[in-house]
Amino acid sequence: MRKLIEPLIARLPLDFRVLYHQFLLRVIDLEALSIQADIPTFLGQFAGVLMMLSMIHTVGFYVSLVSTRAPQDFLAVSWYFEHYFIATMMLVVGLFTVIAWDSTFPDRRDAMILAPLPIASRTVLFAKIASSCSIWLLAVLTLNFASGFVLPLVLGYAHGGLFGFLRYLAAYWFTMIAASSFVYGSVLTVQGLTALLLPRRLFLRLSAILQLAAFGLFLGVYFLQPSLSSPPVLAEPGNQWIFASSPSFWFFALFNQLNGTLPPALAWLAYRAWIGLGVVTAGSSASLLLCFIHTMQKTIEQPDLVPGARGFHWAPRLGNSLTTAIGYFTLRSLIRSRQHRVAYAFYLAIVCAIALSVVRGSLTARAPAPLTSGFLMSTFMMMLFAIVGLSRVFALPISLTANWVLRIAQLRPTEEYFAGTRQALMWIAVLPWWIVSAVLSLSFRPAHQVVAHLAILAVLGSILADLSLIGFFKVPFTCSYLPGKSNIQYVFWFFAMVIIPLVASGANHELHALNHPRELARLSGGLLAAALTLWAFNRHRARSAVLYYEELPEEVITTLGLLSPRSFAAPGASHAEVTHES
Amino acid sequence: MQMLELRNVSKHFSGIPAVDNASFIARAGEVTGYLGPNGSGKSTTIKMITGLIEMTYGQILFSGKPIHDDLIAYKGRMGYVPEEPYLYTHLSGAEYLAMVAQLRDFAARSSAERIDGMLRLFSLYDDRHASISGYSKGMRQKILLIAALLHNPDLILLDEPFSGLDVASALVLRSLIQELAARGKVVLFSSHELDTVERICSHVVILHRAKLVADDSIEHLRSLMKLPTLEKIFAQLAVEQDPPAMARQIADLIDA
Repeated sequence: MRKLIEPLIARLPLDFRVLYHQFLLRVIDLEALSIQADIPTFLGQFAGVLMMLSMIHTVGFYVSLVSTRAPQDFLAVSWYFEHYFIATMMLVVGLFTVIAWDSTFPDRRDAMILAPLPIASRTVLFAKIASSCSIWLLAVLTLNFASGFVLPLVLGYAHGGLFGFLRYLAAYWFTMIAASSFVYGSVLTVQGLTALLLPRRLFLRLSAILQLAAFGLFLGVYFLQPSLSSPPVLAEPGNQWIFASSPSFWFFALFNQLNGTLPPALAWLAYRAWIGLGVVTAGSSASLLLCFIHTMQKTIEQPDLVPGARGFHWAPRLGNSLTTAIGYFTLRSLIRSRQHRVAYAFYLAIVCAIALSVVRGSLTARAPAPLTSGFLMSTFMMMLFAIVGLSRVFALPISLTANWVLRIAQLRPTEEYFAGTRQALMWIAVLPWWIVSAVLSLSFRPAHQVVAHLAILAVLGSILADLSLIGFFKVPFTCSYLPGKSNIQYVFWFFAMVIIPLVASGANHELHALNHPRELARLSGGLLAAALTLWAFNRHRARSAVLYYEELPEEVITTLGLLSPRSFAAPGASHAEVTHES
Repeated sequence: MQMLELRNVSKHFSGIPAVDNASFIARAGEVTGYLGPNGSGKSTTIKMITGLIEMTYGQILFSGKPIHDDLIAYKGRMGYVPEEPYLYTHLSGAEYLAMVAQLRDFAARSSAERIDGMLRLFSLYDDRHASISGYSKGMRQKILLIAALLHNPDLILLDEPFSGLDVASALVLRSLIQELAARGKVVLFSSHELDTVERICSHVVILHRAKLVADDSIEHLRSLMKLPTLEKIFAQLAVEQDPPAMARQIADLIDA
């Protein structure tokens, strides 16, 4: 495969290849965070996780289909999964566009570096599009790696033998690419129009808000829209406005139109998909083109100094002065650094997905329901992901070169810095999600059990915060962590095989304890003791620890060894040695 | 009397000396100029004095006490302006200075007043809420200066403090350095601007190829070496090339 692709790539212009490679590194924001990230490894892991998801979903589809007996159930299951695959694909591409926000448009760095060079604007434009599309296509291919073959095989072959299979196969892949293009193009259109219509300064401010809004929109639509449980649901008049306004249903109709199974009454949904696709393709192409013509110049001409937000700059104290300093530094870094925001958004996506699933369950319930282990598990998982996510993001550096100021102004012992970091974690990760859990709990009864659960959740938050900070004798965002070096697949399986069963078992145990006061007292006492022990353990260790700052590597004077006999004898070895030394 | 003293301080990187056996004293009330060509070890010495990097051997004393005996107390009395204006650029100028004040455990109200006052004097008040990422090099340098002086330090370490400053700000800073020294601070000032050094320093230390080659008052060096200016003294002690010949070679190479 590589032998086939490499000569083709070699025929592309050199400036395009260089730019494509550079832009590709920047499309994946997580990689940009690490200093020596390994792009192919990271992409491989990214693809691996999506392929695993594809296999899990496909097995679910196959098992559900095999276990159905009545023909109307068969249709319901196949429709449900067709829509599910399309909606999931749109969600994944949507989240990808949030992660790769702004990466398709020229930024100030591109304008300042590339404008003086003899490179045509169209080369920059094509390299940008190619780099974004590479990751987007990788996501489409890997997420449909199993379902893209099994679904056409099972459904298509049943409908019309080999021809049916081929027709389903073409319809499936066309729909998936069209649906993901629609999501990707919609975001590009909105961004492009905003960039063109607004002054650059205002656009930059609005862009961060739009990014978060898009993130919420994709998750909200995916988790809150009704699932297609049966054909009568599709025909119900009360649901028509949802189908009319939800693109995943348009593309579901498009898929069925292409494979020849769409009921004529639903043809209008498929037309919406065609119209939407046309509008978005035209809109994104025009806005991209106009942006490259106008924005490059606008970016260069903009003043360097962007005035700060006027008005009230209120920053209440969050404890002692050191805790306040660490708290605000953490919060501001998280809000203002796109890289950190996006990295944390990965975890928040999971947290929000869990929260929205609970909300969806609550919305359908007419009256307050008794507490379920599912709800308890959801709140635990939200807390777990919020804390683990933030503590992981803490380890990503914001500016290693600027760490000197923290070292120069370190006038207090490590113990106090540790307390400040812990407090920041409690304020930013534990408290908000505890409040969200409390709000979600309002639809559950009895009240005393809900209160007891919230108390347990608070203690659990403290335990998880202390567990995630064991050995973390650092100020947040002052050290480097290489996400490209961590193996996502292992982490995924660890969560799937160990953490989720553990949390499920804990939720069952708690539910049982909530109905038995003595057991509840035992459980609460045990958790409280664990929380206090962990807190004391970390404080004790922090007393003797040295605050650790990661800096850029020390200046080391090395010789390249070019005159050594080895450098002449073995060029490969010499290159490796030089690379290692430098 | 407050003074900074280096005794046989050395720093080796992979066995190669960056600073070799440096010994000198910077006294309160005078500005000590620390000079040397690029790569001679000036910034390394200053980083050792700040405690940012460990020395390989030797001793650094402030007011007669080794700084590593109580590094935290020493840091509380020291202000440092680094060679490069590395700052957390996602913060605004006011936020950065507030953070430094909080780290140094200043009372909130007095630190806010002092920060506002300094920002006004350094003509940064109107841009205090703008992100540092948009600041010019000179503005960043002013933020570094304010952060270094905010806590009224006894020892002030200035590594190329004039870098990026406009003429008016440079003139203010020049007077400020002299004023601070006159008020009893120990000021160690590293710069390539020999003119400025000659105007504000009474005492210079010259470093060449990691070793001290001069440690004396400018006046004494002038009479000792029978040279009229610091530039000529420096050229004789620390410049190996013939600048006009080098310039000719470069121009020839470009023309070729």
